[in-house]
Amino acid sequence: MAKKVGVIRFLGTNCDFDILKWVQNKGQNSEFIWHEDQFNTQDFEALILPGGFSYGDYLRCGALAARSPVMKSVNEFAKQGKPVLGICNGFQILCEAGLLPGALIRNDSLRFKDEWAQLRVVNQKSYFGEKLNPDQKIQLPIAHGDGRFYADAETFKKIQDQNCVWLKYEKNPNGSMADIAGVTNAQGNVFGLMPHPERAQFSWMGSTDGDFFL
Amino acid sequence: MKCFVKVMPREVILDTQGRVVETHLKKQGFKIEQCRIGKMIELDLTVQTPDEMAAEVQKMMLAGLYNPLIEKYEILNG
Amino acid sequence: MRTFEEKLKFYRLTSEEYQKAKNSLGRDLLDIEWPLFSALWSEHCSYKSSKIHLRKFSYRNQNTPNLEGENAGVVDLGFGERIAFKMESHNHPSFIEPVQGAATGVGGILRDIFTMGARPIALANYLCFGQESAPRMDDLQKGVVHGISMYGNCVGVPTITGQTQYQSQYNQNILVNAMAVGYFAPEQKMARARAGGVGNWVVYVGAKTGRDGVHGASMASASFDEDTESKKPNVQIGDPYYEKLLIEACLEVLSKDLVVAMQDMGAAGLTSSSFEMASHGQVGLEIDLQKVPLRDPSMTPEEILLSESQERMLLICRPEHFPEIQKIFSRWNLDSTCLGTVREKRQVVLKWGSETLTTIDPDLIVEKAPRYERPYEKWVSAQQVASPSEVNWNLFNTTAKARPLNWIYNQYDQRVGTRTARDCADPIGMVQLDHSKRGLAVAVGCRADLMKMDARLGALDAIYYPSFQMALSGAKVMAVTDCLNFGNPQKVRIMSEFVASVEALAQAAEELDAPVISGNVSFYNETLEQNIISTPATGLVGLRADVENLIPSRFVNPFESVILVKYAWAATNAFWAHQKNQSARFYLNAEAKPAEFILSCVGLERKIFEKSISVSSLRSVSLGGVATTVQKMSDQGIVFKAHPQTVEADLYKDELYQFVLTTSNEQETIEFLQDYFSEMSPFLSIQVVGQTTQGA
Repeated sequence: MAKKVGVIRFLGTNCDFDILKWVQNKGQNSEFIWHEDQFNTQDFEALILPGGFSYGDYLRCGALAARSPVMKSVNEFAKQGKPVLGICNGFQILCEAGLLPGALIRNDSLRFKDEWAQLRVVNQKSYFGEKLNPDQKIQLPIAHGDGRFYADAETFKKIQDQNCVWLKYEKNPNGSMADIAGVTNAQGNVFGLMPHPERAQFSWMGSTDGDFFL
Repeated sequence: MKCFVKVMPREVILDTQGRVVETHLKKQGFKIEQCRIGKMIELDLTVQTPDEMAAEVQKMMLAGLYNPLIEKYEILNG
Repeated sequence: MRTFEEKLKFYRLTSEEYQKAKNSLGRDLLDIEWPLFSALWSEHCSYKSSKIHLRKFSYRNQNTPNLEGENAGVVDLGFGERIAFKMESHNHPSFIEPVQGAATGVGGILRDIFTMGARPIALANYLCFGQESAPRMDDLQKGVVHGISMYGNCVGVPTITGQTQYQSQYNQNILVNAMAVGYFAPEQKMARARAGGVGNWVVYVGAKTGRDGVHGASMASASFDEDTESKKPNVQIGDPYYEKLLIEACLEVLSKDLVVAMQDMGAAGLTSSSFEMASHGQVGLEIDLQKVPLRDPSMTPEEILLSESQERMLLICRPEHFPEIQKIFSRWNLDSTCLGTVREKRQVVLKWGSETLTTIDPDLIVEKAPRYERPYEKWVSAQQVASPSEVNWNLFNTTAKARPLNWIYNQYDQRVGTRTARDCADPIGMVQLDHSKRGLAVAVGCRADLMKMDARLGALDAIYYPSFQMALSGAKVMAVTDCLNFGNPQKVRIMSEFVASVEALAQAAEELDAPVISGNVSFYNETLEQNIISTPATGLVGLRADVENLIPSRFVNPFESVILVKYAWAATNAFWAHQKNQSARFYLNAEAKPAEFILSCVGLERKIFEKSISVSSLRSVSLGGVATTVQKMSDQGIVFKAHPQTVEADLYKDELYQFVLTTSNEQETIEFLQDYFSEMSPFLSIQVVGQTTQGA
């Protein structure tokens, strides 16, 4: 049965159509959810927060989006144990909203980086991580200026202990703590990663490893 | 000797960050008129007197710590 | 109070121009009219020194409808799909404030695209910097790249190709040209920029107006003199977030057919957009300047008219559509305000509340702007020689390393939109078209070393070479835009180079059946009497049947043969001669037909695939010869090793045009190429120059 995936659209989200198309290409229904709207959690099977520059990344990346009216419903959805995926800016928003541990700060090079990253799967997950096996290597593109994952000592210990680490960079491009490229919450239903799986759909894009995520 | 320098966009220059945060706060119902965002530079100098500090900081600012075309600065504890 | 002479200087009008304006009006100019003429009669807005020559770009074909006065050029690609594209310069503002200058350059060119209703799908840029040791040059290049990156990435349009060159002649006048490409899906309406419909409303949308860039358009029309540093202009600040909101809101109102016409407020802001819309639409407008949303309520009418605050559009709509327009813009957090109405009588009436500031015929300022026939001389190619032996081939430098430019494009988001098939690391860019899934190739051209040697050859090459690069990727060039960057047109030498360039571009465009359909002129790139190398930058779009099976432009396998295919039209030592400060020379084979060769290359890639010829990589040879090109092709430790029999000098020769490819089946590939290019002999040669190997 075709799943219905909600794609949240904040002001400034620019990978919105990319995600909508990606989900549809995989044979699932996708629909936009506007940042000012609440929604019924029963209406969707999964949620995706796309990448981009919500609110221009002003103040802090994802800070203003994380305080949008729609996040009330997203919170509810996550509390019910349903799957939520945040990609790049989406990851930043979920961290700012407290749905994922840690924070994403400025790349250590202080520059925006657009390049291909080799990743390693650390922990087996379900939903968006279902098709990925531990130690599997995949290639996805990154494109971000604030992708450096950081957590304080206490949070980092919890992340380790609760197996929240999902993906790591083989060659750290931004100074992320412990080479972390993606994490989940302790419950394992909220996911965040800095690389863009939707940009690896067809071989002409450079990789098809995005297929493992949907 | 510590020096705190406040760097703000010049009045006539569009403050893109301030504009967005201002709109956001207004929408949330806060009693706000205007928001402008700049940065705080904290310098710890190896000088002995406040006068030396002011002189040295001025030189630093002109050496690239701010962009006079679009920013202005104020030494807060000078 | 300024004297008359001071006013002429301040508003950058010559006394002849003032007299012309006075004669048209039948009276002296009112105070409020000075800024109108100053802005719209500036070189940047009026093209007064170039217009008579730009008419030489009149060639059109069935894919390129004639759209006089529109914001960008439009190409019909068939299957209901169309492309809007344009290139524009932001040289002077970038020299003053590189980050914002480059950023607002990107913002401006994007607006020219989506104001027509096309969704921007790709950006490209063409940059010329001076020597790294020149004053401020390090800050300038880092700032420009940061500005393009900051704006393009945030607004969500991928930067997929570009060109960056370094020559001392740009030390005091850098070039920052930005190109944008937009896509119209089948059935999608194209918006026009001409006002129409008496009684319709003139609506302002977007950001509030501030004092940004007052007198900016006039600035672009004057060369910098010694006190550039002491000028503190009100730098225009670009906000890509705002622009993203504007894109969505504008595309939404255009798709819902709520808008009669739309134009962005670019150079000379409200003045140019309102007067141009009225003039081209052959109607009048009444605008109350007091209604303009302001950041600073103390702004004067003149400041409001000339403000270059970014991310603002002017649109014309039927009154009954305004509430819905307002609702859509409001949803995207943007203001929309009615400033006035469209009138039948062909006048622009500027009001300040109930007071009328002026009533003026827009044609006087737009259509009847001055047209100068700047003196020039017929082109003589002084560096051309009668035989290849007269070219000094021994100036090459075997230790020369291609300057790495990945620090630049690694800062650009190249993949947002999920359409990118070829990015900045390749010679040209390519995106997939949404509906037909065909490939749209994008390339920029104009090689300063050739222009420096001979304007005519350099300008022909400015279209030939990127077309050639596109052809090798299986794409046929469809249309061309340009950004003609030149020095002072009042100098005969500069103007002669300008005319020679325009004529050469027109010739190449027609030969390749790729009309020049939009563009921009940037004159007065001159400081203290030093002019830049005349630089007619070009932007090309081309079409490929799909985006599958693109042959890589870098080495893939070691131990394969490297084959050089050469079409001998032009031969030059310009690249190496200039590095050694020697005079460059070139030889042209008058019988050769480079355009034919380029067009014949379009089908090559497809034929290679169809016949299963094992070609693992393929790339055009850039200036510096094969030796420089194979450096760029090195990847994953795979490098080039020359054949012992290969003459070293041959690897450094610049012969236009050449390409290299690698193959594991030398014999079969050579036979295939001989057959494929059989009609191109006697100008064509095929030679094995070496092989790939596992390097250090």
